Amino acid sequence: MEQDQRIIVGVYHLSKNFGKHFGLHDINLQVANGEFVFLVGPSGAGKSTLLRMIYMDDFPDAGQVVIGPHVSTRMRAAGIAELRRKTGIVFQDFRLLGDKTVFENVALALKAAGAGLGEIKKQVTEILMRVGLYHKRYDFPHELSGGEQQRVAIARAIANRPAVLLADEPTGNLDAVVTRSILELLFKINAGGTAVLMATHDLELVKSFGQRIIYLEGGRVVKDSEMIYVGDLRKRIDDSLVGRRAERLEERDIRGEREER
Amino acid sequence: MNAAQIGYVFDEAATMLRRHKAANAVSIVIMGLSLLILVVFLLITLNMQAVIDRAGDEMRMYVFLEDGAGEPAARDIQMRLLGLAGVEEVVYVPREEALVSFREALGKDSDILDALESNPLPDAFRVKLKPDYIRSERLEAMSQEIGRWKGVEETRYGERWLERGEALVKGFYFADLFVGLIILLSVIFVIANTVRLTVISRQRSIEVARLVGATNAYIRIPFLVEGAVQGAVAAGLAVGLAAIVHALARRHLPGLLFLGGEAIAAFVFVCMVLGAVVSLGAMRRLLRL
Ligand SMILES: Nc1ncnc2c1ncn2[C@@H]1O[C@H](COP(=O)(O)OP(=O)(O)O)[C@@H](O)[C@H]1O
Ligand SMILES: [Mg+2]
Repeated sequence: MEQDQRIIVGVYHLSKNFGKHFGLHDINLQVANGEFVFLVGPSGAGKSTLLRMIYMDDFPDAGQVVIGPHVSTRMRAAGIAELRRKTGIVFQDFRLLGDKTVFENVALALKAAGAGLGEIKKQVTEILMRVGLYHKRYDFPHELSGGEQQRVAIARAIANRPAVLLADEPTGNLDAVVTRSILELLFKINAGGTAVLMATHDLELVKSFGQRIIYLEGGRVVKDSEMIYVGDLRKRIDDSLVGRRAERLEERDIRGEREER
Repeated sequence: MNAAQIGYVFDEAATMLRRHKAANAVSIVIMGLSLLILVVFLLITLNMQAVIDRAGDEMRMYVFLEDGAGEPAARDIQMRLLGLAGVEEVVYVPREEALVSFREALGKDSDILDALESNPLPDAFRVKLKPDYIRSERLEAMSQEIGRWKGVEETRYGERWLERGEALVKGFYFADLFVGLIILLSVIFVIANTVRLTVISRQRSIEVARLVGATNAYIRIPFLVEGAVQGAVAAGLAVGLAAIVHALARRHLPGLLFLGGEAIAAFVFVCMVLGAVVSLGAMRRLLRL
């Protein structure tokens, strides 16, 4: 299936059954290149399940998922590996390799993609600087705070410069201040042109950013705001949204500090 | 996989062997001890085989000549013996020499021979046989044929001893094969499980590697290399321990043989391949890779 070049993630009439109690039902959603979308729904709504279908760890019973040239109805093992290299994935529990250093964790994605050593060194250094963890490159994950671990996970996810970053409750294990910094980082990555699809149960956290939000409940999309094509609108969105995000983050900050007192 | 990645997978295997030193040491010791049982078994087999070979090597057939057969007849018989398939060496034993040997064999009791007026022993040929021909049926046939020759009184080759020895050797080989198979299967089982534990302990890492787009080959090869290294080191350990056991046992049983250099190399190589294959199998089953 061919889809609009401007769409990076397309989900079409996706259904998946898990026994009597749960399933995903006729889900349709598209994420445009460079877009930032929150996937919001209560716990058990099916967000993680849907994301797993998108990065093709599982497959729908009906309908299909399209990411770039990859179509879920005709995937092979090699195609999945390739898809993962072009898709960043971040989880609530970080999923770092405990027996590898920060540097090695980030390098893993590049090594898997077959990059040369020189290129890996350059790229990892640059990314670790970007997430502010270059000075901890020789540390092991257990030596880092939760927020730092998530930064490493994000660094790894964007190491191959993916067109889209999928994040499943990336702030779920983090306190308010760290949550704020992780969101900032995700916005920054998005501003660099990477589409971001972030799942969260916390509507309060995300509703103030003026971002597109897709609501999921009981395995159905119950509400979706309009897709924002970034292409020609890039400038305007950068000005308005990035500005607004900054304001919101500041507001939250002030509120957060007040609450702490 | 490109050239860089081939480097990475070996590097990865080396790093993991280094970082999981304790776990690897435990695996190697477990494998090494179970392989030790196998090596000791092989040594027992080897030494038993040597004993059997030596027994066969010492076995001779005696062809006794008729009294007064005469020298031309004796020479003729010698030529015919040498012409037989299965005969390796023929030595003429004149009656005088036989008597001397007999005396020596009797030792202290040799004075009973002094009562004899003349030498009662016949001239004889001592025939050394090729190992392949040391079988009851073959020797039976051979001895009957020789017995019909002119000038031959009779032949002897310890037929009862041979039959009993053959039964013993057959029984030994049967038991050896049976026990060997059981040990081999147990050792493979132990190694498979040990390697499987390594894979299970890193199942999460494997899942993460898949998540970031590592191909199956990229994930598998470090485990193959690790399995191979574990197998080879464990084999080396087993051979080393067996050498100690051998040295101790040799104090009581001098002449005890040990595996030769080639056999050791082959053993280590087989264990290395086994480690790799088993680790591949474990990943296949556990991870559907
Ligand atoms: N493989 C599976 N088999 C059976 N049920 C599953 C499976 N995966 C997920 N579920 C069920 O799907 C529901 C939604 O799960 P999930 O996608 O994790 O929701 P969310 O991420 O929105 O909290 C849960 O009730 C869970 O028990
Ligand atoms: Mg979830």
